Amino acid sequence: MTDVRSNKIKSSLARKMAAPGGRTVAEAVARAEKGLEGHRDEALRRAADHLDQLEAISRDRGEGSEARTYELASAVLDTAGFFETGPLFTAAFSLCELSDRMLGRNEWDWPSVEVHLRAMRLILATDCRPGATADTILQGLAAVTRRYA
Amino acid sequence: MASSARPNDRVNLEQITVLLIDDNPQALDILSSVVQGFGVKNQIRCGSAIEASEMLKQRQVDLILVDCAMPEMDGYDFVRWLRRETPRPTCQVPVIMITGHAANGKVMKSRDCGASFVVAKPLTPGVLLQRIVWLSSDEREFIECETYVGPDRRVRNFGPPLDTKGRRKGDLSAHVGQAVEPNMDQSDIDSIIKPRRVAL
Repeated sequence: MTDVRSNKIKSSLARKMAAPGGRTVAEAVARAEKGLEGHRDEALRRAADHLDQLEAISRDRGEGSEARTYELASAVLDTAGFFETGPLFTAAFSLCELSDRMLGRNEWDWPSVEVHLRAMRLILATDCRPGATADTILQGLAAVTRRYA
Repeated sequence: MASSARPNDRVNLEQITVLLIDDNPQALDILSSVVQGFGVKNQIRCGSAIEASEMLKQRQVDLILVDCAMPEMDGYDFVRWLRRETPRPTCQVPVIMITGHAANGKVMKSRDCGASFVVAKPLTPGVLLQRIVWLSSDEREFIECETYVGPDRRVRNFGPPLDTKGRRKGDLSAHVGQAVEPNMDQSDIDSIIKPRRVAL
C-alpha cells in the first residue's frame, strides 16, 4: 500500500474570513448581481459572434472544423453560463455534448450540428426567453443528442 | 460539514486575495465583477494557467478561481501542478474550478486533480458565494499520497469497509456491530433523563 499522509489544515481563507466586519450574504449577492448585469448585453453579443463563427464553420466544413465546433460551443457556455440565458445555455450545452460524443466515436453528422445552430439563432432572436416554444425546441435537440448516447 | 450561509449571516472577504484564471477575457471581467461585489479588495487576474503559475512563485493568495478549459495548460493540469509542485502553504490553497461543459475525457482528470470544488455553470453569484463560505469552514483533511494530493474526496469519511486495506485511523463506519453489554434497564434510562433540582 502507498504511504498516505493526511493533515488537518486551517487555510488563510478561513482565518481571514473569520475576522469581524464584511457585509451580509444578501448584500454581497445583490452587489455581485448588480455588477454582473452590466456584462449581460456584451455577453449576448459575444454569444452571437460565436454563433456566426459556428455557422461559417458548418458551411465550410474544413479540416479541424469538428474540434473547433466543440470549442466554440464551449465558449458560448463560458459567458452565457453567468446569466439567466436558460434556453440558450441548454442548447449550447446540448451542442457541446453532441460534438464531444461524436468526436469520441469518430463519427460526425453535420445536420445534427446545423439543427442546433438554427435553434440557438432562434433562441437568441427571442432574447433567450423561456416558454413552451423554447421547451419544444430543446426537447428536439435532446432527442438528436440522445442518438449518440 | 459546514452548513450553508443564510441571507443575514455576515461574510468578510475584504482581507483575502483572490487569484482569477481564465483565458476568456470577458469571463475574467465577469468573475472579477462578481468577487468585487462580494467585497474582495485584492484580486489578481491571469489570462492563462502558465501566467498564474509564474505569479504564484512570487505571491501568496488565499483563494483561486480557475476555468477548467484553457489552451496549453488547462485548469486540471494547473491544480495538479499547484498541489504537487509548490511549497506550503501555496499547495494547500482552496481552489474552485469552474466548468461550462465537462468533456467525457476530462471527468477522471477533474476527480483526481485535487480541486477543492468543481462548480458547473450556469453559475449564479449566490452559488459561488455559498461555495466560498463552505470552503472557509472546510474540515476535510489534506491528503498527500502517490496518486492524489488535495482535500479528502470522501466527504462522509466512511472509508473502505471494516477489516479491509486502506482504512484510515479517523474513518467512520456505517456498520453497527453486535452489542457488547446487556441493554440498559428502563429505570436506569429514566434516571439519566429525569429532571433534577440544581443548587446554584
